[in-house]
Amino acid sequence: MTAEVNSYYPDYATETPKQFQFSPYADNGGSVVAIAGDDFVIIGADSRLSTGFAIYTRDQNKLFSLSKSTVLGCSGCWCDALTLTRILSARMQMYEQEHNKVMATPAVAQMLSTMLYYKRFFPYYVSNILAGLDTDGKGCVYSYDPIGHCEKATYKAGGSAGALLQPLLDNQIGLKNMQNVTPAPLTLEKALALLKDVFISAAERDIYTGDKVNINIITKDGIKEDTFELRKD
Amino acid sequence: MAAVLIADYPEPGFSFENCKRNASFVANGFVPPKATKTGTTIVGITYKDGVILGADTRATEDTTVSDKNCQKIHYLASNIYCCGAGTAADTEMTTQMISSQLELHRLNTNRVVRVATANQMLKQYLFRYQGYIGAALVLGGVDSTGPNLYCIYPHGSSDKVPYTTMGSGSLAAMAVFESYWRPNMNEDEGKKLVRDAIAAGIFNDLGSGSNVDLCIIKKGTAEYLRTYDEANKKGVRQASYRYPKGTTPILTTKTSNIDVHDVSITYVEPMDMS
Amino acid sequence: MSLAMNAPIASYDNMCSHDWIDAPHSTGTSIMAVEFDGGVVIGADSRSTTGAYIANRYADKLTKITDHIYCCRSGSSADTQAIVDVVVYNLNFHATELGEAPLVESGAAVCKELCYNYRDSLMAGLIVAGWDRKKGGQVYSIPIGGMCVRQPVSIGGSGSTYVYGYVDANYKPGMTQNESVEFVKNSLALAMARDGSSGGVIRIGIITEKGIERHIFEGDSIPKFYEG
Repeated sequence: MTAEVNSYYPDYATETPKQFQFSPYADNGGSVVAIAGDDFVIIGADSRLSTGFAIYTRDQNKLFSLSKSTVLGCSGCWCDALTLTRILSARMQMYEQEHNKVMATPAVAQMLSTMLYYKRFFPYYVSNILAGLDTDGKGCVYSYDPIGHCEKATYKAGGSAGALLQPLLDNQIGLKNMQNVTPAPLTLEKALALLKDVFISAAERDIYTGDKVNINIITKDGIKEDTFELRKD
Repeated sequence: MAAVLIADYPEPGFSFENCKRNASFVANGFVPPKATKTGTTIVGITYKDGVILGADTRATEDTTVSDKNCQKIHYLASNIYCCGAGTAADTEMTTQMISSQLELHRLNTNRVVRVATANQMLKQYLFRYQGYIGAALVLGGVDSTGPNLYCIYPHGSSDKVPYTTMGSGSLAAMAVFESYWRPNMNEDEGKKLVRDAIAAGIFNDLGSGSNVDLCIIKKGTAEYLRTYDEANKKGVRQASYRYPKGTTPILTTKTSNIDVHDVSITYVEPMDMS
Repeated sequence: MSLAMNAPIASYDNMCSHDWIDAPHSTGTSIMAVEFDGGVVIGADSRSTTGAYIANRYADKLTKITDHIYCCRSGSSADTQAIVDVVVYNLNFHATELGEAPLVESGAAVCKELCYNYRDSLMAGLIVAGWDRKKGGQVYSIPIGGMCVRQPVSIGGSGSTYVYGYVDANYKPGMTQNESVEFVKNSLALAMARDGSSGGVIRIGIITEKGIERHIFEGDSIPKFYEG
């Protein structure tokens, strides 16, 4: 009965309690692509750092060279990427002091996985792709989810345009969904051309990818750097 | 209680049962469909002889570009055009409907329709829907009173202004206008200013991109310059991605004939329109 | 107005979202009207905001209802513009039936009727002011909720809260036209200086038997006070 009586009163808009929360994460976008060959590996990342609809900078290198034969590409929450890579290089230095040798790429890959899982319930919000040469000088690529799942691959796309790029790499390098093709070993030239082309495509459709690509070419002679311009809108 | 002799009157007012249903769907983890909200830069200025409207051509769905060359300057009448930002479907349908009403108004009155009329019709329509029609508009045109520019908000308010910007890139574009706009500019200066404002949106706002569209409305003429400027060139591919014949597997082949039994052709006299 | 005040907290909620895109276009405002012998002085700032963004820095919140009745608008732009459009229509119709200029009282009454009947869905604080042959200069305040009361001086909008003390201390019955203009100018300048959602230029209107005389004060001609 009282409910019916109440319904006769006009329902004035009243202030209801509001809960405000601070989000510790930011999405700064960016894409990373790595392709491994028999005696080389290349890794590229776009240089746009953004938030929401705004660009922070058009010139942010997202590749971290960890050693002469290992490079890590990071995208996602940039402050987490900075913290992660800072601790990662410290851990690598400690390894070097203790074992008197530079950490090999597979070892870095394993350590990165444990470091990410260490923060299982407050993860680094970063999409990581690790590229390097293994102890035999063969190119290898490792990709991660934010809490430490690690997967070894020969090519991988990650970051904001990862889902756009991976199928193209699957088709062009993995030769998926194709008939009558003879697999040939991937040359550095082919890999470089493909890397640049997939970034051109990503910049067309992903708003967080653009401006420039930073490329690291890792061979037994060390790391060579290259850049490539993308559209800026 | 249902009476036997007197029919039950239906509950008065609107039925909100679907709202409750939808709320329970959401509570159970169903993600409701989203309307395409385009991040946009749209602008308009008045100059010596009329108005110039400008827009970018990117349409986005979340962070993906869904259309790289869409039209955001809509036709309302031969002397009035309108840029739209916000919910894509709303700007499109609102301008189409008002355009048809303006044409009927023109035929009824046998006069060139006034921009103030379009403004009043748009704002009353948007106000009726209390902001649920998400159309943010820049309305411009030339009529017997001269050049007119209005900026109309989704809730149904409007301002008569000498220059204006709207959409997610409006801050970038307004920065250009606040620096360089001045009264009585000539056409070339006006076109350059509008291009620069849209370009500022294209480059500095991630929701805006691709090309610059312009629309110049003067007394008696309206010039729609589609792709007035290609703000940035598409990258040139390094490799070729042509697939040789036979790359795609054919799983099964089936041929069936179409039997034609009878053919009849009927000629229709065109309706006499004179 | 109240929406604009929530903005600093809301921005922590989602730093990437553009609240000003979806925020209703509202005139966080300072408005004022004073009666004097022979007419009224009305005044307003010129800032209109969506969230934290200034959508229009040269807005006109002094809106004509008839030649001798004006309305100072505060609250939601959409709501107040819609109200005034309806009031203008009703009063023009009324004037035609009456065969003479409507009373200020009538203008205020029509405004009040709308504001009261639709109080659940409107956000509008109006000051209706003008001159008629019967009672001379009159000011009617119609705050949110739809009350209507005649006042010799009235202030409204988010900026008004900062200057109630000043207005109470400085209003003197029987001020001349020029004294009233100075009083409105000073009050608005003080309100605009303290209120973040008020600003721009000061628009003044003097309504007498002869109609309206409008002035704009910008830049150096806005009175300056202590800015500590």
